[in-house]
Amino acid sequence: MHRIGFVVNPVAGLGGTVGLKGTDGVITEALRRGAVPSANERAISALKYIHGNDITFLTCSGLMGETALQKAGIFCFSIVYNSPVGSTTADDTRRACRLFLDEHVDLVLFCGGDGTARDVYDTVGSKVPMLGIPAGVKMYSAVFAIDPKSVAAVLENAGSLMTREAEILDIDEQSYRKGILSTRLYGIARVAALEEYVQTAKHVIEEKDEERAKNEIANFITEVMLPDTTYIIGAGTTTESIVHKLGLRKTLLGVDVVRNRLLLVNDADERALLATLNNDADSRIIVSPIGAQGFIFGRGTQQISAEVIRKVGLSNIIIVATPAKCADTPLLYVDTGDPELDAQFPDSVQVITGYRIAQRKKISK
Amino acid sequence: MQTKILLDEEEMPKRWYNVLADLLSPLDPPLHPATQKPVGPEDLSAIFPMELIRQEMSPDRYIDIPAEVLEVLSLWRPSPLYRAKRLERHLKTPAKIYYKWEGVSPAGSHKPNTSVPQAYYNMKAGVERIATETGAGQWGSALAFATMLYDLQCTIYMVRSSYTQKPYRKSMMQVWGAECIPSPSTKTKSGQVVLAKDPETPGSLGIAISEAVEDAATHKDTNYALGSVLNHVCLHQTVIGQECREQLAKVDEYPDVVIGCVGGGSNFAGISFPFAGDKMSGKHKDVDLIGVEPASCPTLTKGLYAYDFGDVAGLTPLLKMFTLGHDFVPPSIHAGGLRYHGDSPIVSKLVHEGVMRAVAYHQSEVFEAAQTFARTEGIIVAPETSHAVKAAIDQALECRKTGEAKTILFNCSGHGNFDMTAYDAFYAKKLVDYEYPAELIKQSLARLPKIP
Repeated sequence: MHRIGFVVNPVAGLGGTVGLKGTDGVITEALRRGAVPSANERAISALKYIHGNDITFLTCSGLMGETALQKAGIFCFSIVYNSPVGSTTADDTRRACRLFLDEHVDLVLFCGGDGTARDVYDTVGSKVPMLGIPAGVKMYSAVFAIDPKSVAAVLENAGSLMTREAEILDIDEQSYRKGILSTRLYGIARVAALEEYVQTAKHVIEEKDEERAKNEIANFITEVMLPDTTYIIGAGTTTESIVHKLGLRKTLLGVDVVRNRLLLVNDADERALLATLNNDADSRIIVSPIGAQGFIFGRGTQQISAEVIRKVGLSNIIIVATPAKCADTPLLYVDTGDPELDAQFPDSVQVITGYRIAQRKKISK
Repeated sequence: MQTKILLDEEEMPKRWYNVLADLLSPLDPPLHPATQKPVGPEDLSAIFPMELIRQEMSPDRYIDIPAEVLEVLSLWRPSPLYRAKRLERHLKTPAKIYYKWEGVSPAGSHKPNTSVPQAYYNMKAGVERIATETGAGQWGSALAFATMLYDLQCTIYMVRSSYTQKPYRKSMMQVWGAECIPSPSTKTKSGQVVLAKDPETPGSLGIAISEAVEDAATHKDTNYALGSVLNHVCLHQTVIGQECREQLAKVDEYPDVVIGCVGGGSNFAGISFPFAGDKMSGKHKDVDLIGVEPASCPTLTKGLYAYDFGDVAGLTPLLKMFTLGHDFVPPSIHAGGLRYHGDSPIVSKLVHEGVMRAVAYHQSEVFEAAQTFARTEGIIVAPETSHAVKAAIDQALECRKTGEAKTILFNCSGHGNFDMTAYDAFYAKKLVDYEYPAELIKQSLARLPKIP
């Protein structure tokens, strides 16, 4: 019997339909503008595909889970958290998740957007895999199911699931409403995934082992790192493996600077990066695509600004990603906040995916 | 207009053509891995029979094919030459496309053209067992077939990832009585070293070669056989090009372009060396000889022309060739085959000197071409062969632009009947366009063995 923790953020997505680009702190305004809560409908559309008999849901009362399960025709659940009367908050999501952990769930299924993903991640971390039913205004984090049917497929195979790393992004809603996408990498969760169709081609299969792939990438990149060259190394676990290979500590969610195999700057901001570039030394940027959309610049790597990229030069950017990440990310995106610079990116780039091997990926600008 | 141009059995070439005799300058000799001095026949005698060593180094332009070997080759030779009329119509090209169909051999590819004489000479030398390596299984199955004919035992080290993924090639080897072992294995020191470093390694051709060479060198009754790269292997394949020249002459043609795919280089050598001879002697100066390789393992187009080992462990002689570095393990997930870090020294030299040239393609465009070929000519080619198909199609499309009616010949080296999972991946849009990060790698190639 698989135990699934299930929580709905009933107000997720509320701001989106009425042009509020988010829901944090504007629920009343959204409702005043005529927004109709739709998160539960989204949850039901995914839950109704579940026919397995060996799943027990642990959930919250009312609109935070119970209602959706009942409407989807699922009755094998128990309520572990009593939702407050009236509006719910992020704290309710976090409290429910803590109780799910106490109950040793196999997976936490949530329905919401980037904000809800952060709330679930705050409690669950990478202890238990999570999976999101998309219902938010913004879904840049990489934890959401592709479609409602795939949620059912994942849940029904909860006993033999693969998990993969998924970035949780923090988006500043105030800036977002002003049309500025200011994001940072918030954390790295484990997301439940079905075993990908594997390419049983001439030889082996797609690398299943992420750690092995990262190790190969790190072996290669450290082998071709040049002396007296400044390396600006972006956030994430793939870039982290490169820095670890050098015997150095990496700021997982931040940007570090390495030269001659020594750590020059830890968790650098834009100003620190520009300062390290203020000499004539050659420089390179090493980044990995972040989030569901595969952003290489502009999302989660705000420190590596347009000015930093211009100083280093577009031809000196090294992009790394594991084969599984590449498979999940059909297109790469750049959004440096400088349209002129974005336009200068080539239509496709080489992404290092292993030891002396790369894939060609298209860039969408 | 004839579709098939056939030769009678008595028109089969009775001699192999040795392009070494016509090279513009002598081939750089293979060097001993320990002394870095040119290897002599005695250095090779631990793993090869003397007759093959003689062929490896022979200056003679032609070498007679033994009657016993001709008798076996006649099972499928002379192979047909086809005019690809339907493909031409589909492409709306003024070009004339001819393809030499080598998929008619028992093993389904050009490989038995050399496995049969290699097994024969080993049998003549009193050898009891042959050890070899195989990647996708084409060579392993061809050698299993040949050793069976001459009552030899055969041990095949098959790249582990293929061993699991290609059960039917393995079954073929079994039918023909060979032993097939996934590589790296614990049977050899080379295999043990690799496994200790990386127990989950998918293996590579370079590793499997190390194991087979070690097996042969450490067992008195055992010799080694290689399915490509070496001079004598390329020599045996020249029956292909010689037949093509005769077949084209029957319809008053001589090719403007000759195309073959390149992994180690033997099938390209087989179709192109006789024409390279014509080119170097000045008889047909303008014939364009094109080797086609995968963008993921672009030895001729992105490699360095230098001395390097033929295997991962550094057991083989050092060969002057285009190389991506002997420690390069090509992407095992690449579906298109042709994954070897080096290339035939003769093909390398001819490319280096401009007698031949090379192009590289991504795998999805190559499968696209194979689909076009299957839907016009009917034959489902091996992923390797589809590289040659792609280049031939590109040449024909170029002719459509220029209006030239070139005669294009390519080696259709094998069928893809055991490669349908690769086609499945193509249709599922799961084929990834791997490529070789040449710019970044330039630095690491500095680690090749230093030869003065």
